[in-house]
Amino acid sequence: MRRREFAVLAGPSILVMVGLLVLPLVRTIEWSFQKVDYGSPGSFVGLDNYQEAFSDPRFGKAVIFTVILTLIVTAVLLVAGYVLAVLVNGLHRAKPYVLGLLLVPYVIPQIVGATMFSWLFNPNYGGVLSYLIEKLTGAHILWMSETWPNRVVVSLDVIWAMLPFAMLIIVAGLQGVSDEMIEAARIDGASTLRLHLSVIVPSIRGVLGFVALISIMDVVRTFDALVPLSPQAVQIGNESIMLYIYNVAFQNGGQNLGLGSAIDVLLILLIVVLLLPFIRGVAKETRAG
Amino acid sequence: MSLSRSRVSALAAVAASLTLVATGCGAGSKTSADTAASVECDYKAPSGKTDVNVLAYNSSSVDPYTNTMVKSCTKGDVTVNHQPIDFAGQVQKTTATLAGDTGTYDIIETYSFVIPQLAAEGKLEPLDDLVDEYGDEYGLDAINKNMSGAMTYDGKLYGLPMQAQMLIMAYRKDIFDKLGLKPPTTFAEMIDDAKKIQAAGEVKYPIALPLLASADIVTAYDAALGSLGQNLTDPKTMTANLDSPQSKQALEALLSLKPYMDPQVTTFDQPAVQQQMYNGSAAISIMFSGRMNDLTLPANSQYADKMAFAAPPSVNGGDVLYDTVSVDGWSIPANAKNDKDMLFEMLSSSVSEKASKASLPAAYPARDGMVTDDSMPFAAAANESIAKVPPSEPYPWTAEISNAITPIVANVVLGKTSVQDGMGKMQSEANKILTEYK
Amino acid sequence: MSTLTGATESAGEAVPLADDVLQPRPRRRRAGGEGAAGRRFMVGGLLLLVCWAMLSPVLWTAMVVTKPTSIAFINPPQFTYHPSLDAFVNLWQTTDFYSYLSNTVVVAVVSTLFALLLGVPAAYALSRFPSWISVVLLVAALVFRALPRFAVVLPMYDISRSLGIYDTKIAVVAALVAINQPFSIWLLRNFFAEIPQQLDEAAMLDGCSRVQVLWRVMVPLMGPGILTAGIFMFLFAFQEYLTALILTDVHSPTVPVFIATQLGQTLPLLQQAGAASMLLTLPVIAFAFIAQRYLVAGLSAGSVKG
Repeated sequence: MRRREFAVLAGPSILVMVGLLVLPLVRTIEWSFQKVDYGSPGSFVGLDNYQEAFSDPRFGKAVIFTVILTLIVTAVLLVAGYVLAVLVNGLHRAKPYVLGLLLVPYVIPQIVGATMFSWLFNPNYGGVLSYLIEKLTGAHILWMSETWPNRVVVSLDVIWAMLPFAMLIIVAGLQGVSDEMIEAARIDGASTLRLHLSVIVPSIRGVLGFVALISIMDVVRTFDALVPLSPQAVQIGNESIMLYIYNVAFQNGGQNLGLGSAIDVLLILLIVVLLLPFIRGVAKETRAG
Repeated sequence: MSLSRSRVSALAAVAASLTLVATGCGAGSKTSADTAASVECDYKAPSGKTDVNVLAYNSSSVDPYTNTMVKSCTKGDVTVNHQPIDFAGQVQKTTATLAGDTGTYDIIETYSFVIPQLAAEGKLEPLDDLVDEYGDEYGLDAINKNMSGAMTYDGKLYGLPMQAQMLIMAYRKDIFDKLGLKPPTTFAEMIDDAKKIQAAGEVKYPIALPLLASADIVTAYDAALGSLGQNLTDPKTMTANLDSPQSKQALEALLSLKPYMDPQVTTFDQPAVQQQMYNGSAAISIMFSGRMNDLTLPANSQYADKMAFAAPPSVNGGDVLYDTVSVDGWSIPANAKNDKDMLFEMLSSSVSEKASKASLPAAYPARDGMVTDDSMPFAAAANESIAKVPPSEPYPWTAEISNAITPIVANVVLGKTSVQDGMGKMQSEANKILTEYK
Repeated sequence: MSTLTGATESAGEAVPLADDVLQPRPRRRRAGGEGAAGRRFMVGGLLLLVCWAMLSPVLWTAMVVTKPTSIAFINPPQFTYHPSLDAFVNLWQTTDFYSYLSNTVVVAVVSTLFALLLGVPAAYALSRFPSWISVVLLVAALVFRALPRFAVVLPMYDISRSLGIYDTKIAVVAALVAINQPFSIWLLRNFFAEIPQQLDEAAMLDGCSRVQVLWRVMVPLMGPGILTAGIFMFLFAFQEYLTALILTDVHSPTVPVFIATQLGQTLPLLQQAGAASMLLTLPVIAFAFIAQRYLVAGLSAGSVKG
């Protein structure tokens, strides 16, 4: 392909990326060095915002909460998504129906899904699940206001919302695993567990990597789920980085756009670090191809 | 099956399912709620299509005024737009629309608590000249002078009062009667009543206050502090009173209620407390009056006919109650593009006599002589509450300090910070803000 | 041909293109008789349980919104009741739900079309132009997919206000195109990589220009890929909350924004918010049933295999 053709084909897309993503990003970076209110020009304050972020214990807590949530959810998604995908893939006539049913949580907007979820756990709004759990175990668990129970609820919600996607991608990946290979392994006398671990899983490594990639991207930016599910996230240490940004730059008439932008920049850096292995993979592969 | 055919049929099915939903029940018609009055709204219409955007949170006491305005003032080429929004959303949109040279909204719902700050920043239009011009036409002289005073800053009126909201105690009359209890007049009595209700096995957590850690909790602290005779700040010396003995008492008073409140109470805003009363999971609650009428509607709760009302108790006895009065009204942003005369006539018509009457009993209208025992089941409680309210603190820093100390109060009530440490932090936060106003 | 980790010892046979994938594969029954039947029974039971668990929030909400308002949220919850559709009727009569829904659909459809219109040629170009610039673009697309919304949308708020398009569907569509387009490149690129370059060359020998090759040869072959990417773009746009929240006030709120602003309300509005969730959910459930086979086919044919 010639340079000119490349420019014609990719140009509009690049233009949109530069105009609608890079320029706003530049503005965010600019703001991160300013003290600024909405609608009025800011004044340069150097690294003050970054200093404030790093000296605010809330920021540290938010980073730790977010990263741990991301790692746990991603691990669960990979394992549960794989198991579920294998089960679904083994179905015959029922497969499209089961797939369709399982996809439902994925197609519901997260904020809506999380609200539905909150009605299962919040006793003030019915709380059918917390009620049943209390009936069965006798334990009165404060799902909305205590750190760990609330973390369980939030993680369950995020997993609930993303598991269908993980499963779907892995089901798609399983279509590419040849029956011959499985048959060969069986003839060699491999147990079911071995068959999965040493034949199927390695052959869909790329697919699992893709699931991990998307999961990391999305869970690091958890926000919607916390709005209905963790009304006192700040006090119980369940504030995600995105929620922290929202709280300082938007909520309660808060106007600290500079600080919010500085945290944005730091969050982008964190995301890039988490994605580094994937970025290197893409770079290597594209150069090779 | 060929791919292309199945793809087309699938897309057609998706499209069909979407359009079915979109058109299935006919076009969506926007009917204002029953409470909307049809009133005179005689503005001089500008030429051409005009949108007037109104920002007001939904609640059964604000809706009548908003709906009246939308219904009565939308005519010809002029459309009054209002979208549903909750209180937190209103707070956020207010900040956004008032920033900068232009904003989305032409009329915003404001309340006495935020008027001084917004007025001092020059974000609102002073209304005095407009009141002079249109006062007779809309009978604005009947609006309570104290309430106008609450919307005044530095001698100028920045919000046209529609209603007052004061704290009121709602309690379950059936339970109180059964146990021979009287509505409490102090926190100690309230705790006593709660103990008896618990002991009788009626309700596990009898007391319900909105103590949402990110918002309402500071209102509770302020009300307790006021009942103990102390203000947040002293405007003469420009110092805060948050490390005073009364501040300590106020925090301890809130802490003393905890055993009788739902353990998740710091996640409850006012709607959540309403829900507790609807569900019968609380027997005593204190909220703003605008939330009270909901409790008496059988459609909302099986216990609706068992609700009774009283003025809130005082913290330690004495004549000043655990209370605060908030005057709600309409303001015109300084950056509103539309003709200010037209906007003012719209908001005047929504607080006219007929419109105010239509807001009863959900709201306590700002017009004198509207509230009677017949027109409102909690009229006596409301009037007593207004009479014994702590003095207001109409300074531009009040709202800012409240926001700043909210998380500290929350941590104290949650037991994450000691009362002593909390007071120290609150005091220094508040003084830091006060130095900016010196 | 692997996308991410460079895994090469892959599936042995070449992965079939979409047309084959859509055909049900003939499956051999494994021997085993009784034991196999028992296992299938167990697997079926397990999957049924999983489906039930995954749907339970939706099913419970469906119950909540059809209950009489006075018992909708009581605790302990009531499991039997006379169902009513009042919440839906009230929602329809007292709010502009119709316009929120149409805003949502319009924004989702239009932004999907634009994202594809930009993404398809870009992805094609990337797959045929091995150069550092392709690497940079692809990595950029990856990072852009992962950007925190605030970093992009708050400046857009400012920019759209100064351009005078704040609070219009145009602003929301533009934002969504920008946010979603990088991912479409990413999904589509591998489909193009699957198509042998000889095909391009043959077509060009016949006198086609590059653009003609793309539209006349590639796009018809790319059906499943474009459909897959389109479904994802549509879902993202349909679900987007923060972007629409920040870029709209009164004129073009979407359903997720409407529902979110109703969460801090009391009854009966809260129940109406539940009704709105159900009305939003039902069409996308239909969508999920239809979309799943294309997604599996499309995804396995190109975008993400190992």
